[in-house]
Amino acid sequence: MEINTRPLARRDFLRGSLAAAALAATGSLAACATSGTSSSTQSSSAPAGQVSDTNPFGVESGSTVDAVIFNGGYGIDYAEFAGQQVQAKQSGVTVKVTPVTKVAQTLQPRFVAGNPPDVIDNSGAGAIGINTIRDQLAELNDVIEAKNYEGKVIKDTLYEGVTEPGTFDGKFIVLNYALTVYAIWYSASLFEQNGWTVPKTYEEMLALGEEAKGKNKYLFGWGKEAATYYQTMAICSAIKEGGDDVRLALENLKPDCWSLPPVQDVFNGLKKIIDAGYIKPGGAGTVFTASQAQWSDGEEFLLQPSGGWIENEMKKQTKSGFKMTGAPEPVVSSNSKMPWEALHSTAGEPYVVPSQGKNVAGGKEFMRAMLSQEAAVNFAKTKLASTIVKGTVPSDGFGSTALQSQIQMLEAAGSNVFSWNFVDLYGMNTDQLVVWNSFLSGDSDVAKLTKGLQDITDKVAKDDSIKKVQVS
Amino acid sequence: MTTLASGGLTSGVSAPQGGLKRIGSARWRKRNLTFDKITFFLVFLIIPVAFYIAFVVSPFVQAVYFSLTDWTGFTPAMNFIGLSNYGKLFTDDTFLQAMSNNILMAIVVPIVTLGLAMFFATLVTVGGSTRGNIKGLRNSSFYRVISFFPYVIPAIVIGLIWSQIYDPSAGLLNGILTRLGLEQFTSFAWLGDPRTARWCVMFVIIWGLVGFYMVLFIAAIKGVPADVFEAARIDGAGRLRTAISITIPLIRENVQTAFIYIGILALDAFVYMAALEPGGGPNNTTLVMAQQLFTTAFTKGQFGYACAMGVVLAVITLAYAGLVFAVNRIFGGKSEVGE
Repeated sequence: MEINTRPLARRDFLRGSLAAAALAATGSLAACATSGTSSSTQSSSAPAGQVSDTNPFGVESGSTVDAVIFNGGYGIDYAEFAGQQVQAKQSGVTVKVTPVTKVAQTLQPRFVAGNPPDVIDNSGAGAIGINTIRDQLAELNDVIEAKNYEGKVIKDTLYEGVTEPGTFDGKFIVLNYALTVYAIWYSASLFEQNGWTVPKTYEEMLALGEEAKGKNKYLFGWGKEAATYYQTMAICSAIKEGGDDVRLALENLKPDCWSLPPVQDVFNGLKKIIDAGYIKPGGAGTVFTASQAQWSDGEEFLLQPSGGWIENEMKKQTKSGFKMTGAPEPVVSSNSKMPWEALHSTAGEPYVVPSQGKNVAGGKEFMRAMLSQEAAVNFAKTKLASTIVKGTVPSDGFGSTALQSQIQMLEAAGSNVFSWNFVDLYGMNTDQLVVWNSFLSGDSDVAKLTKGLQDITDKVAKDDSIKKVQVS
Repeated sequence: MTTLASGGLTSGVSAPQGGLKRIGSARWRKRNLTFDKITFFLVFLIIPVAFYIAFVVSPFVQAVYFSLTDWTGFTPAMNFIGLSNYGKLFTDDTFLQAMSNNILMAIVVPIVTLGLAMFFATLVTVGGSTRGNIKGLRNSSFYRVISFFPYVIPAIVIGLIWSQIYDPSAGLLNGILTRLGLEQFTSFAWLGDPRTARWCVMFVIIWGLVGFYMVLFIAAIKGVPADVFEAARIDGAGRLRTAISITIPLIRENVQTAFIYIGILALDAFVYMAALEPGGGPNNTTLVMAQQLFTTAFTKGQFGYACAMGVVLAVITLAYAGLVFAVNRIFGGKSEVGE
């Protein structure tokens, strides 16, 4: 008896204390990860410093600006440069630039604690879904209405339509800094050697594929993480063909939006190229940078749909004499709603200012510095990419053919510039990659592709827990 | 100080003699709850339990609570929505597919890995010449070191190495196969074809772990007295018979532990997948729950929903461990090995 009761009693004691503690934990500790809510202050809205023409947001002297910058393709040195500009213009203000690679993971606890940084470059694969935090961001209208360091109103110095991708339900909350031009990239030197011309329709692409085959090359190639570059190309072609109707149907997640005739025409055009064997096989198992090197270094295929960052991305893996040049995506027919020259261009590197930050004025001042001449020129020169500020790239593109062609394409497009948000906004890319990888591999057909994409769209559209953005 | 210490000593001696029987009674408390005993409780019981609760129990409880809310993960605010996250989970095709992928992996990976590990461990320890002492194959220590190598490499590096080997155009595997004249493997996407992807990633996990479990089993087999094997040999048992009837029953507890460890790994598998198939593989055939959880939380900003996935993953893991225990017990594990 005695032997039995002893250990039991001790264990009961242990169990009892565990259970009690667990109960206590549900009550008090469950609130732990989300505590510190009530203390988050609204101090930010009222400027602490003196508002003047040279200090339009009233940054307080002696304050610190906490800038968290995505350390990706563009690095962080351009942001540090802008930070120095702020420090030079606003005496006593210190700018602290912190690099991050996984923005969402790193900053999530700070958002919950009500202590986010003053300005964030929310970019890269680990970016925070903008839909998740858009209620917590400051409106940035006053930034572009302010005067830059040269005394010009910032709004007048920007390219057309660059604030649109950052505007949600009428609120301008995301300032996309780098101008990104989407295009089909090719080697102008290789095309010249072989007497090839840039294809303007899917029919012409098919014909070019035949010629490429004669030279033992493929027309396209892809990597598993970048299969949706072809979706970007396809949507772009479909919008040129069908105009705004197509864009709005997709943006607003309409039922059967992927079955619209212009979209289907593009898919069928692509399917012909795939069936003809003009796409380098094996992409679904290839890392995308390896695939891109097969294009820029191996010249195994001719055309690479991508954004303007590709030059910087492949800098070390580009064959010498490879004149990287961009061309607009092809159209389907000669009577498309928009001309071939129409361009899918948007601004990338989304900068946001959380409204709960300690120094909102400082965050805005940081952006003002970035949008001023010196910092913008510095970015274009060191990154070989244009910012949203006009006139920072000379006609020789700092010696880069890709940058030259970007500026030429923008000029040719004029006001026919468009973009869309729904893929990134609702985080659909991961799901869409699956469908596109199997389509490009030749394992599925247009009907399966359409159904797959429509299912992904419908799933988001029907999910009430996801806030939707109405686009018009 | 001295009085306290001496008082503690005397009570420490007297405690086992009878005080503990009536734990909680007034007399017991009065007589035995000395400074020494309290500090002992504090250091060895209360502080560890507090740590355990703060860092192990409470995050788990929190996760369960969050799974009942619509928390986005980026605000302090959340609404209690009951079980609707779980309802959504079991109608979510992608998650269900991830779950079935995980379950398949939790069946295949442990059986193949531990089977191979047991095979090699037997060869290295008792599979040698049938003359003289019980010993392994010649140069067995060399094989042992070699086979442990993959385990020394971090999982993420293993994943990256193999993603290069499987590369359709420049990979070693297709290079060898096409050199052998198998032209159908030119540019064959091992990780991009729904028929092969899941087996390819499972192979990598198995390749990386066989060595470790082999060493674990070797240590266990070395703990069995050699005369048991000698007796079996005298009775006429061959190598296979010895392995099945002698080795496995005698190291049963090690096998059970190994099954649980590797099963938990197979139900997670996040690291390998992050390197080999970050997008979930062709038609999501290699998507695992941990990956889906990660995207849901950080890309889609649905932490509440992601927590529900985490809870389901934890329940499946516990059920798996329970199943392993049950199977072991059915086959008589309990009768041979004490507590």
